Amino acid sequence: MTADSASPVGAAPERRPWLPHWLTSESPLPWLLPTAALMAVFGIYPLIYAITLSLYKRNAATRKMTFDPTHNWTKILADERVWNAIYNTFLYTGVALVFQLVLGMLIALLLDSDRKGYGVLRAMMTLPLVIPPAVTGMMFLLMLNGSFGVLSRGLIALGVFPPGFSILGTANTAMAGVLLAEIWQWTPFMVLIMLAGLRSLPKEPFEAAAIDGASAFQAFFRLTLPMMSKVIAIAVLIRGIDLFRAFDYVKVMTDSGPGTATETLTSYAGRIYFGNADFPYASTVALLTLVIVIVVSTLFMRIFRVRL
Amino acid sequence: METPRALQILRDVTAILVVGLFMFPIFWWALTSIKPAYAIFDKDRVNFFDFAPTFINYGVTLLGMSRSEMAIDQGIGMGVGGGGAYDSRQSILESVIVSLGATAITMSVAVFAAYAISRMMFRGRGHYLNWVLGQRFMPPIAILVPLVTIYKTAGLRDTDNLAMGYLGLMMIYALMNLPIAVLLMKSFLDDVPKDVDEAAMIDGATRFQTFRKVVLPMVRGGIAASAVLVFIFSWTEFLLSLFLTTEIRTVPVKIQTFVTSTGNEWGFIAALGTAAIIPSFIFILLVQKNLVRGLTLGSLKE
Repeated sequence: MTADSASPVGAAPERRPWLPHWLTSESPLPWLLPTAALMAVFGIYPLIYAITLSLYKRNAATRKMTFDPTHNWTKILADERVWNAIYNTFLYTGVALVFQLVLGMLIALLLDSDRKGYGVLRAMMTLPLVIPPAVTGMMFLLMLNGSFGVLSRGLIALGVFPPGFSILGTANTAMAGVLLAEIWQWTPFMVLIMLAGLRSLPKEPFEAAAIDGASAFQAFFRLTLPMMSKVIAIAVLIRGIDLFRAFDYVKVMTDSGPGTATETLTSYAGRIYFGNADFPYASTVALLTLVIVIVVSTLFMRIFRVRL
Repeated sequence: METPRALQILRDVTAILVVGLFMFPIFWWALTSIKPAYAIFDKDRVNFFDFAPTFINYGVTLLGMSRSEMAIDQGIGMGVGGGGAYDSRQSILESVIVSLGATAITMSVAVFAAYAISRMMFRGRGHYLNWVLGQRFMPPIAILVPLVTIYKTAGLRDTDNLAMGYLGLMMIYALMNLPIAVLLMKSFLDDVPKDVDEAAMIDGATRFQTFRKVVLPMVRGGIAASAVLVFIFSWTEFLLSLFLTTEIRTVPVKIQTFVTSTGNEWGFIAALGTAAIIPSFIFILLVQKNLVRGLTLGSLKE
């Protein structure tokens, strides 16, 4: 094995000559094995199991499983709820990304100052990030309660909604309610990354632009944005992956409802699992989510030439 | 170019208002936790400060007091029993055990892998990194359905054996946190110059001795920061705990049981919720410096 030919020749003494080389610490194998075992047993094996499961048809009456590789995958194509869930998942991901990106950038520009007190403000902005999303969901559930929620009452007082209107209980507005929790919790993520990006920018181009009489807007669109494109792409990639498997807020706030108004792919898979106990079909829907995540994120990484 | 004073004040005020707006839900949550029921469920107006603060919600959720007992004690006639189900001390303990265990497992396997990836050149290094990163792309739901069956067969269900149930949940949290731990540790190790290793090995140390005696002490801060982030992510996890365990109820799952068919116990929910986020707040302030690096899996540094 030529594995560690990079290490200095003859430098490492053979302390335990009876051990084969690949078992000593000079070989990468012992270093990587624990992680590989964890991934194999708890990640890859269940994934293969899920793929196998998706090739079986479950008879609801007899609870018997029969091998039928096309059954679930053709069922998915004809399942309107899957298409609804795909639509909702893309809507959720897209709207949240746009809001988090734009708000994140604006707030980062606002807080990027060396003046006294701004450090405290920046630290405060990170607090929402560590609240359990299931708890955040409850927070917004309380604030959006139709009869005594502070946000609902505020919006009703402003005349946006009629008295007694339930934002989460109405199909047209439920998604907006869930998105509010999502955007509140993860905009700080974007703020943080944008701040790091802004602080790493070189000063000279901006000084040159100011001498040439460029306005702040011109400097932002011609200099700041292009120079931060890599940072923005990484932030969008990481956030997008997480958004695509959105579950916690939907489960806690609306339980995919009313009806299927806020049902995402992950929450639909969960509903099949708990509701009908049709494990093969739940697996198939979950795998579809994985396939879409891989395809979309690979495309994204190719187009924007980024990688993690 | 000096910014005009008026503009600077405008910016300060806007900054404070925006951050204040983001702090409002947390403030409202904490406020709700010390409100008596009549102030929470006030249907006539939004009640900000017009109430007598009470710690009854904390008493019931964190001290295991019975609600009716406390209600009588404080002369509030609204208690209707049912204290036991809201006692969350057990859940907090379970959450702490699971999160600490998961952090220990994650860090102890991740540090070794990160060292090899950072220091050794071997065939398939890039592939290995991709596999680790791939765990991050995988929606947990994709492996959850088979995992329940596998755990049943392997005896890792908490209903069969509590200790094994803990282990099962810790292992899956470890898997979930593996990408962030490995990539973050790799990024911290990459900051240590390779000359350090080579000098030690020329002096006759083996790889492992070099790692343990020379490199590891130099990345202590990085290990602490990674561990804190892994702990936070384990502490806040919801989906896996909801599906995989029934006896073990981590705090995010426990809090959902306060949503009842007869109405939500908002006072108790807010009290437990507030208690659950305080440790995270302390931790996040400890790792401010490495937060960006952690959240971007080591690809961006501040």
